[in-house]
Formats: sequence, C-alpha cells, structure tokens
Amino acid sequence: MKRLSSGGRIDRSRPFKVRFGWRFLQAFEGDTLASALMAGGVSVVGRSFKYHRPRGIFSAGVEEPNALAQLGKRAQREPNARATTIEAFKGLKASAQNAWPNRRLDIGAAAGLLSPFISAGFYYKTFIGPFRQSTRFWMICEAFIRRAAGMGKAGYAEDHSNYEKRHAFCDVLVIGGGMAGLCAALAAGRAGAQVILAEQDFKLGGAILAQPLDDESTDWLNRILSELEVMQNVRILTRTTVFGAYDGNTFGSVERATEHRIDAPAGSIRQRYWVIRAEQAILATGAIERPLVFGGNDRPGVMLAGAARAYLNRFAVLAGRKVVVCTNNDSAYSAAVDLAHAGAAVTVADLRRNVSEEAAFPAEVAGVNILRGHGVLKARGFQKVASALVAPVDYQGRATGPARSMAADLIAVSGGWAPAIHLWSHRFGKPAFDPGCQAFVPTDEPSRVLRAAGCASAAASVQETIEQGFARGAEAARASGSTRDSGQPPASVAMGSYWQHGLSPVWSVRKSDGSFKGKAFVDFQHDVTIADIDQAHAEGYVSVEHLKRYTTTGMATDQGKLANTNALSRMAELRFMEITQVGATTFRPPFTPVAAGAITGHRHGRHFRPTRLSPIHHWHMRNGAKMIEAGAWMRPWFYPDQREDMRAAYIREAAHVRGHAGMVDVSTLGKIAVQGPDSAEFLNRIYVNGWKTLQVGSLRYGVMLREDGFAMDDGATARLAEHDYFMSTTTANAAKVLAFAERLLQTAWKNLKVHVTSVTDQWAAIALAGPNSRALLGKVSDSDFSREALPNNRIAHASINGVDVRIHRMSYSGELAYEIYVPAGFGIHVWETLYAAGDEFGLIPYGTEAMGALRIEKGHVAGPEIDGRTTLNDLCLDGFASTKKPFVGSVLRNRPVLTDPKRPSLVGLEIQGDTGAKPGSLLFPEMSDHKGHGDGWISSATYSPALGRNIALAFLKNGKQRKGEFIKIVNYVDNETLQARVVAHHFFDPQGDRQNG
Amino acid sequence: MADAISPLKGKCVAGRHGADGDAGVTLGSRNIAGLWQIAGWRGFKAAAAPVLAGLGLRDGGSYRTAESTGSATAWRIAPDKILIECAGRLEAETSEKLAVLDLSHSRAVITVSGPAARDLMSQVISVDASAAAFKPGEFIQTGIHDVGVLIHCTGEDDFDILAPGTWAEAVWEFLQDNALPHGLAIKAMTG
Repeated sequence: MKRLSSGGRIDRSRPFKVRFGWRFLQAFEGDTLASALMAGGVSVVGRSFKYHRPRGIFSAGVEEPNALAQLGKRAQREPNARATTIEAFKGLKASAQNAWPNRRLDIGAAAGLLSPFISAGFYYKTFIGPFRQSTRFWMICEAFIRRAAGMGKAGYAEDHSNYEKRHAFCDVLVIGGGMAGLCAALAAGRAGAQVILAEQDFKLGGAILAQPLDDESTDWLNRILSELEVMQNVRILTRTTVFGAYDGNTFGSVERATEHRIDAPAGSIRQRYWVIRAEQAILATGAIERPLVFGGNDRPGVMLAGAARAYLNRFAVLAGRKVVVCTNNDSAYSAAVDLAHAGAAVTVADLRRNVSEEAAFPAEVAGVNILRGHGVLKARGFQKVASALVAPVDYQGRATGPARSMAADLIAVSGGWAPAIHLWSHRFGKPAFDPGCQAFVPTDEPSRVLRAAGCASAAASVQETIEQGFARGAEAARASGSTRDSGQPPASVAMGSYWQHGLSPVWSVRKSDGSFKGKAFVDFQHDVTIADIDQAHAEGYVSVEHLKRYTTTGMATDQGKLANTNALSRMAELRFMEITQVGATTFRPPFTPVAAGAITGHRHGRHFRPTRLSPIHHWHMRNGAKMIEAGAWMRPWFYPDQREDMRAAYIREAAHVRGHAGMVDVSTLGKIAVQGPDSAEFLNRIYVNGWKTLQVGSLRYGVMLREDGFAMDDGATARLAEHDYFMSTTTANAAKVLAFAERLLQTAWKNLKVHVTSVTDQWAAIALAGPNSRALLGKVSDSDFSREALPNNRIAHASINGVDVRIHRMSYSGELAYEIYVPAGFGIHVWETLYAAGDEFGLIPYGTEAMGALRIEKGHVAGPEIDGRTTLNDLCLDGFASTKKPFVGSVLRNRPVLTDPKRPSLVGLEIQGDTGAKPGSLLFPEMSDHKGHGDGWISSATYSPALGRNIALAFLKNGKQRKGEFIKIVNYVDNETLQARVVAHHFFDPQGDRQNG
Repeated sequence: MADAISPLKGKCVAGRHGADGDAGVTLGSRNIAGLWQIAGWRGFKAAAAPVLAGLGLRDGGSYRTAESTGSATAWRIAPDKILIECAGRLEAETSEKLAVLDLSHSRAVITVSGPAARDLMSQVISVDASAAAFKPGEFIQTGIHDVGVLIHCTGEDDFDILAPGTWAEAVWEFLQDNALPHGLAIKAMTG
C-alpha cells in the first residue's frame, strides 16, 4: 500500500497528521481515516468480535465491517466508528478496538483456538442447557460473557458536546448525492420544488468520486454541481446520513456538523439531528458491492474491488502492487484496469468462463492477466494476504482442477452489488428478489412517495441511472405541486460496466467436494462463518429471521449491508430453494449507528422535561426553601430553620400553624374557568353533588368520578357570577380534569353552552391558615373578614396593598383558613405584604410536607387516597352523591363489586410507639399471619404535632365496623411491623369548630 | 399600586451570549397590556362583532392569520374563541352569548428576532417555520419543549411567543440554549 504522488481528490497543499493508537499518520484534506491508514501502510486495523482475528480495511464506505475504530476520549468517546467514513482532520485521534495489548499482538486471538466450540448458539446451549432447573449458573456466566462481549468502549461521563435538533420541510427529499440523486435534485430544483439533497459523504458525486480524476465524469459532476449550487430552492446537506424512514414520509437524519473540525468554535454544534418531512422522497442511495465467500476471505488485504478503485482514484492510495481480482461480474474490470494503470500487476480470476469483450478488452490492453473460469479458493498469509490460492472452477464455484498459489498483497473481490434499499424497507417491509441482477430491489409501493432511482433500483447503466434519477425527480416535483418544466436530463458519460452485465450467481469458491478451504466468513463483523449457517440449518432453523438472530449474521452496524445475500444464498442452497423462496429479513432503522446525544439534542439536564414554576417561586428560593418536584412543578417542601432536617421542619411548621398562622403557596392547584349559561348544569353532571343551588359568592366542595364509577378528583368550585364559576382541582389532576371536561363538552354534551379554560397561570394562590389568619387579613385589608361577613365557603373581593384579590374562606388544614387568589403578576407582592405584616401574628411560610401533615390530621383525602382505585364509598364521601340527578359515574359506581361493604374503606390509624408508618404498608389483623395482601393498606402517614403521635390514613376492609380494633402494619420493604389502633379518619377537630370559627 | 412582575423578569437581563460575531438571535420580552378571551357558541360571530368593532378589529382574523390594529391584536384560537390583546378591560361585554375571560396575567411574551430566528424556530417547533410557510401576520398554536404556546410571526424574522406564565422560564431557557450557537443577544424587557 502506498500513497501515489499524483492523482486523487485530496488536497496535497493541506497536509496534516492524524493519530491512530500511538502512530502519527500523514493525511491530506479530503482523506478519510481509512485512506490515511492505508497510505501509512497500516494493514491490521482491528480485531474481529469473537475470534479476535486480524482485520483490515475491506470497503470504502458505510458498509465497512472491519475498520471500526474508537474515536475521541472520555465523554466524547465514540466506539465502532467506521474508519472508511471518518473524515480525516488535523487533530483526529483514533485507536483500534477489541484488541489487547494491541491490534497486531492480541491475546484475545487465543479465542480462535476455541472456535470449534463457540459456534452459533454456544452461549445458550452451554450455559443454560445443562441447568434447566435454575438460571443461577447462567446468571454467573452472564457476567463474564457480557464482559467479553461488545465492541469498543462507550464513556460514562456526561458528553458536553452540543447536539441540536431541527425540523425541516420540503417538497422533495433526495437521499444520496451520487449521479441519480444529483439528477433527481436537478430535475426537482428546475421544476421549482423545495428540495433537500442529503448526502452522507463529505463530497457529492457518489461513484464518480471513484473514477479517475481526469475522467469526463468529473466535468459532468462539476457541471451539475454548479447548476445545483445556485438554486435557491435546493438545500444541500453533505455529511448528512438519512438513517431512518418513517410514516408520513418523515426521515431521521444526522448531520456531522463540526466533528470534523478541530478548530470549531467552542459551543459549536457537533451533530445535528434533522427530522425531515417530505412530500416526496427519492431513494438514490446507490448499491453496495457484495463480497465473495472463500477460505480466509477475512484476511487483511482482501477488499471489495470497488473500494480498491475508490482508494486509488479518490485518495491516491494504491492498495496493492500484486493484485488478484476475483469477480463474478463485469464491474470489477474497471478496478482491474485502473490498478494496472497505476502500476500494479493485476490478475483477474473470473468465476465465469465467458467474459464480455466490453470488459475484457480494455483490461487486456492495460496488461491485466485474465483467468477465465477461475476463482480464489483461499487467501493465504499471516497477518495480511501474501498469496492467493487460485483454482479453475465450475459454474457453481467448485474447484475443477489443481489450485496454484499466486503471490498477492491484495485480493479484490466482487460478488455483484446489492441496492441499498434499507430506507425503503423501513417503510414498506420486505423487498423482492430480482433474479436478473441477483439482488433485492424495491417493489412498486402504492403510495408513490418514496421513489427509487439509479443503482438503488438496480439501474443497469450510467445512462439509465441519469435518466431514472432525472425522471423520478421531475415526477416527485410534479406530485408535490410544482408545475415548471424540468427540461432535458444531463447527457450520459462513459463510466464502465455495471454489475448486471453477464453476472454469474456464484457467491463462493470451494473445493471440489463443496467444502471450503479454511474459515470462510459470511459476516465479518460478527465472525459468522459458513459453518455457523450450516449448523443453524442442521438444527432446524428455516426462517431467515430466526437464522439471523441465531447466528447474529447481518446484525449490529452491518444491518445486512454485506452479509445478507451470501447468508441467504447458503441457506437457499442448503434448503434446495431459490433465494426468493427463502425470503429476506426486514431492515430496521438506523441505517448507520446514530449517537444518542444527537437524537436527545438539548433535552437533557435541565431540559430533560420542562419545569413549571409558581409566580412566587423566586421568593421561596431567596428565602431558603427546600424544594421538591411535584409533577412538573417545583414546590417549597419545607423552610428549614438553620440546620433543621425535613422531619423537624415540618413538625415545627405544622404545629406553628395550629398555634398561630402560616401561609403556603398553593398556586399549583388546577384552576379552571367554567363559563356560560349552562355552567351549573355542567357542574351538576361532572360532579357527584348538586350545584344548582350554589349562590353567587359561595363555593362548594365537589367530587367527580370517572365513567367507571371510581373517584377521579376533588376540589372546591366557587360561583363568581351568574354564569361564571371558578373550579379548582388537585395539582396532579389539573390537566386531566380539563381534558376530561373538554372531551365531554365536545362530544356527549355538545348542546351545553359552556366553555372551560385553564386559568392556572392567571392566578397565584396563597393559603393562609391558623387562628391568627383573620386578624392578619384585617391588618392588610380594609374588608370585613368577620365570621358573619365571611363565613366558611363564601368568597370576598378585597384589596391587599393596592392589589385586587379574591378571598375564598375554605380550609384544607382544618384551621381557620383562607385561600387568597391574586393575579399572577402580583403574587409575590401580596405574599411579601402578608409576610411583612405577619410578624406580630406569628406568621411563617410552610411547605408541602407540613401542609400534608395538617390535612392528614384533619382527615382530608388527597392524591394518595384518590388514586384511581377508590370509590366514593371507599373514601367515605358517598354522602356527597346526589340521588336526584345523574352524573358521570353514577351508574357504574353502583356495580356490586364497588358497593361491596367488605371493600377497604377509609379509616384513621393511631400508630403505637414512636416509629411512623410508611405509605404502602399492608394491614393485617393483629392475631393473623402476614400472608397475602392483607386487609388493606396505608395511603398517607405523618407525625401529628397536634396529637403528639404518629398517625396514618388507611383503607381497611370493613373499616367502618372496626373502630377501636388493634391491627398490624407490615412493611415488607423495610421488614418492619408496627401496631395501630383503628380510629375515625378525622383526627383533629372533627366537629370543624376551628375551621368554621 | 405595585407593578406586575413578569415571569421573565429574571431572564430579560441585557447581554450577549454564545457564538461570537453578530448575534443571530435576539431574545426579549414585552409586557402584555391586557389579554382577553372571548368565547361563544352558535351565533358567536354576531355576539363578538360589537366587541371587535369597539377595538377597531374587523372579524378577529382566521385560525392562521391574526388581525391587528395599532392597539389591539386578535388571534382566533378556536372557531368560537378569540384571544385579544388590548389595553382596555372587556369583562363588561359578558352576556348569555359571550363568555369573557381575563387572561392578562396568564401569558408571558417572548420576542424572538434576528437573522437566525427562523433557524431557531426550526429547532424548537415541529411546524414549518420557513419564510414561505410562516409569513408575517400569521400565527400558529403549537408546542415548544412540550409546552403549549401561540407563536405570532410579527415580521420577516420576528416572532412573539405567548407562553403560559408558569412555564415561561422553561420555554425561555430552552430557547436560550438552542440559540447559543447562533450567537444570542438578550435585550431588556420592554413595556
């Protein structure tokens, strides 16, 4: 291997070094890591997955199975990067993977000695099979197997690179920037369509880039590019791989934005994830050359013929000086001719006896030795190819005479080509096998939104490729509404024969008895050999999907690019079938590996999900509140006094509220404006209790059920005006209740003149509670808050420090309490006004933990009780249900299973001892065993400062009849058993004297 | 009386962030003079007409095109609902045929402008934000970072985003981090 002094599409005026392991390699702008490795004479670039066999560069594109490198370090470490697609740049650092201590001397290669024992299915049979009674042995072995498995190493540190997501829309998406794609983009662009042309390479041109630089195709390419580049309606995205096709003609793509630039400014986007929605798409993804199967076909120095040509003509790297080309089709002759012109001694071992003059004549003129009816039986050499064992073969590729050894440092192979139809398969499933070109091709999909062109649809010539691409582009433009004429397609150019010409369906070269001479690989990446396919067949695997999974052929990054057809060919042979009868696997996204970071974009860290903040949030933060997530909200959990922990803080806060006054931010409560002349009727239907008697200026507690009769939510609703109600919901269920109401109003109750609108954002809400709360309100407002002027369940309009507020007299804590609703922009202003005035009344802010303690003491149900499994009866709220009107859930709540008196119902528990209970603990009779699910469970628990003991709300079978009984509380998680006495769930002020006072 | 505090008060601090060079995106905020929702049922058009006429508005625009005068802007957010930004108060227009709701404190406006404003939009919404598809005067209701927003295209490269007040900081931060590679300028809040 050597770099030529001239030629190629590299810029020799821009040299730099790249690092591979400890070696620094000379590279030029326009190189890939693979071409730099080859130019540097690196033949072994990595080790294979299972047997750790030395592997060299096999291809020049995304299909590369061997040259998988580890890029970067620490957080930006990227394993399994294909050296053939990594753009070389100054500062690039890469290393081989799957080898220790190094790629040339790898201890893991000892695994090759065990190869007879570690064939397909080895893990399952060896580690599960003998121990069917238990998985324990497998679990032990699994740890070691997992350590040995996998390729490369991903980093654990957070990747601080910038990734970005973008949405793009176009009339025509052209996938692939080769001849067909360029022509499609040209036609669609001329027609006036909005076009996106996506090419995974960093240069446009596709197969033209593998043509000699002085070829007429270069002029052809330049002409097309110069026309495309000035079209305002054509957006060209290079370095952009369309990796998946999805419903709605949506395509996932990743652009390698700046990862090829060491000089990229800080904060630049490393990769950009494009979600492209296209009216029409053109699949111009070309074709991938197929390998041939013979002994030692994985040895470094065995390479696809097209790749050898690409390295020569694009990167000016001569891959070998003594070259044996083994082919079953005409396409490899272009490589043979170019290699011979570059000075290599080239022999073509053509598996066919009849070779067309069109292919043979230029080769012979170039000095290529053609051996008709010959094939490479085995590639020989230690760590790289040293010779090829060439034998005469029959039409099946079986040796018909003695083999001879030919010195070679490169064996270039071509087993035909396979159209790259992965994206088509993502959308439309299994392709059809075309015997004419011996390849799977797209079928005529009915929606006509993804049209294949060029080699992706097995076009048979350059002219056909150009005409197809141009025609599909023009058709797609018309289909998306463009009306301008696309004009004439570009003229054709001479570029050598395509693979279909004279193709022989021989896929392997074997000894005369049909066996292979040495290890013959079908899937290089997973070390799947012919023997593995044979074994799967012998064990009864007849489905290609099963074969794939059992042998792992075509999986991982290969995704069937190289391995599929040969594996299917072997299976068809073993089953005495045609390939078309054996079938094909379905390709799945992604076409090439995609960094998770690219799809995540900015949605990590603080953007993992949006956070919702109360209008008073920043006061809580400034004043030392410990915050807690409550759904999407951040809420003040408690306000520690110096080093207080949560328990000490909430007990102090709750006790203080009962003795003085406290305020808590309840802006998170769901708030819904219910407006319209039928609002009362709407409330009557959605709540279990009646609403038609509610007067303007009053509020009422309500409970609503789901249609199936279970409780859904509760809250208070105030009547603000004749047709204007203000509904509050729990924080957790706000969106659900609004959506529920909207659905009913737009479907079942379309005749009701009601609008529901979320006003959660409009209002800040402050709950002021405690015996001093009335006096405090009297200080900050001139309004009359006396019991007579504002009794419980009434509302008042007032002004606090110049801000108009609405005050609801209601209590969640069981104390004399008010909810103050403030226009959100004044939330902090009113809060601070109360806080400043509250000193003389002993006012403190309190958090959600104390709020919970107070409501448990009072016996108010909340989310832990209304958890979707409980009914009105269970919650002891059945008294609220009206018998005079139907309501949502009124029929199904009376199902026998929901009215069974033995159902667990709400009770209070006084916990014996100093240890509190945990929600979720199970309840058992005092003298019973702890078996089964018990008689109920604890829903909420707290230490009650008012009672001076631990208490809980719980659901207990026959709860109403078991007051006074002692029961056991079993917490299996903490292995803890407590004793409790069953009491009424209204622990504190059951008569309501304080809240009504 | 105190001034209302915008949810974005702590965010609208003038400064320059992200990539060097000319700022591609400028983020800012402006106060809302007043925001009202009028809604009705059958006969909504007739019921809304006097309210719209009183504000100098013709018909409240369409589901995609806002209607603006110098002092009022209307967005038809549903067939029978119009959102109106104006300085006056509209609650007196409430009737059996028209539900009027004050939402003046419920939204924060994030202004996005600059040569990369449309690029930023394409990063945060799954709706076509190109100049051909989203023209000045048009609006869309969509989601940014899973938060429901109304986006009004107010100029060639200018947008107003009406975000729910309690979500506004999350939306702002998401926009800010997405804008950094374009070069971000933040301007102080305007009245």
